[in-house]
Amino acid sequence: MKRIFAVALGILTAIGGFVDIGDLVTNAVVGSRFGLGLVWVVLVGVVGICLYANMAGRVAAVSGRATFEIIRERLGPRAGFANLAASFLINLLTLTAEIGGVALALQLASGVDPMLWVPLAAFGVWIVVWRAKFDLLENVTGMLGLTLIVFAVALFLLSPDWGSLAGQALAPTVPSSESVATYWFYAVALFGAAMTPYEVFFFSSGAIEEGWKRKDLMTERLNVFVGFPLGGLLSIAIAGCAAVVLLPEAISVTSLSQVVLPVAQAGGTVALSFAIVGILAATFGAALETTLSSGYTLAQYFGWSWGKFRRPARAARFHLSMIVCIVVGVLILFTGVDPIAVTEYSVVFSAVALPLTYLPILLVANDREYMGTEVNGRGANALGVVYLVIILIAALAAIPLLILTGAGA
Amino acid sequence: MTIRRDQTAGLVLDAQLHLLDRQVLDRDGVPVSTVDDVEVGGIRPGEPVDPAAPPPVITDLLVGTEIATRIFGGRPPASRRMPISWRLVSDVGTVVRLGVAGDSLDAGWVERWVSEHIIARIPGGRHDPE
Repeated sequence: MKRIFAVALGILTAIGGFVDIGDLVTNAVVGSRFGLGLVWVVLVGVVGICLYANMAGRVAAVSGRATFEIIRERLGPRAGFANLAASFLINLLTLTAEIGGVALALQLASGVDPMLWVPLAAFGVWIVVWRAKFDLLENVTGMLGLTLIVFAVALFLLSPDWGSLAGQALAPTVPSSESVATYWFYAVALFGAAMTPYEVFFFSSGAIEEGWKRKDLMTERLNVFVGFPLGGLLSIAIAGCAAVVLLPEAISVTSLSQVVLPVAQAGGTVALSFAIVGILAATFGAALETTLSSGYTLAQYFGWSWGKFRRPARAARFHLSMIVCIVVGVLILFTGVDPIAVTEYSVVFSAVALPLTYLPILLVANDREYMGTEVNGRGANALGVVYLVIILIAALAAIPLLILTGAGA
Repeated sequence: MTIRRDQTAGLVLDAQLHLLDRQVLDRDGVPVSTVDDVEVGGIRPGEPVDPAAPPPVITDLLVGTEIATRIFGGRPPASRRMPISWRLVSDVGTVVRLGVAGDSLDAGWVERWVSEHIIARIPGGRHDPE
């Protein structure tokens, strides 16, 4: 059991990236419209986030510096501030969506209007951030989030035509009913979700919260290479379920109830309850991840005292900023906006945040003043540069594709 | 690394490379601020530097309001400056370490104000997480 808990940080971080409320729906939408034709994007994203999260985690463990401290130090105040503004907006929009997502999951379980659940969900997120120890919050949400594996189980229970699924995945084509631009919009959205910047902010700050040092580098690698591939697997399983059940029936996914439909069909009420617990844990976990990331990025840019290993009064501005973020998120939800639609627009801010986040990590992972002998090898650097180019292309393409396709409509 | 404060044989620091935008930690490792700017003595802005003169020395680290002027330009009024005297610096590495507790510094007043007036008044604010 201790071994499983040792990788909780990696699992929780990946859940926030791959299967938060926006991605739960996006994965099912992609499966119901393109089959498994976009699986390759998830695989490319998993390799990318493993590469860079490993660098960010190693920098944190060896030098004791979390990612946004490095961003400020390497990029200076202006470019660092541009990244802070973009990353902060991504965090805030995602946090808003996750609180809404928790409310939607509770609605799925209880039938009660999500608006009534919103204040309760927000209070729950705050009280955990305020009072719970870091390892408690990561263990509980990470482990409960694992129940989403029910989507993979459901895929097997549905006994699909594996040959045709493999064909969709290995020889991707754009279906005749979809435009090429829409295909690429979803490709960029899936890649952006896999590489979303709050994952490295949370993972590197979590490494400091857990007190990782040079001797913990094995644990750090284990977290990266178990957590993120697992996140990718869950994301593919959700798309796979939708491809098997929803695609042939031409059911379009607009809400959570369609996302869980294949699970209910495959495994009945028991499987459905697992899926609901998993979605609740994943959205709650993602809400914690984005709330803490808002605090981490602000505190690290401005040099405030931060961390859940300190009592709140010893990290006052860190806690105050998170309270403000949660309140703003609730106010946004009370306008009646659709929480799932909110996350689609955060892809716009990724255009600024992605390159400005991953470049400084690559630079510092090569700096011997920080890293001593633990600098990047040649392979990691070569792959790192390749991924910077991919990130830059995806970032530049994001906004035109969003406008061109009307957010994938 | 130790810092010698001899005027003529001091440690040579590149402000841009070694100081600006690094974290400032106090004696106990608690973050105090980032280095938002540095105040250098021995030279006057706008006047040519005499090559024979002794090298300029750092007098203060500036924290707080300087960040806005470094992003948007201009100069803050002298009354708004929050200096941390260079004499308090005990080490310069990937972070700047101070030899004193952060609570003793005037520059930490915002954090103290938020802590005392808001965070400590919310139940649980003074307790360790459980």
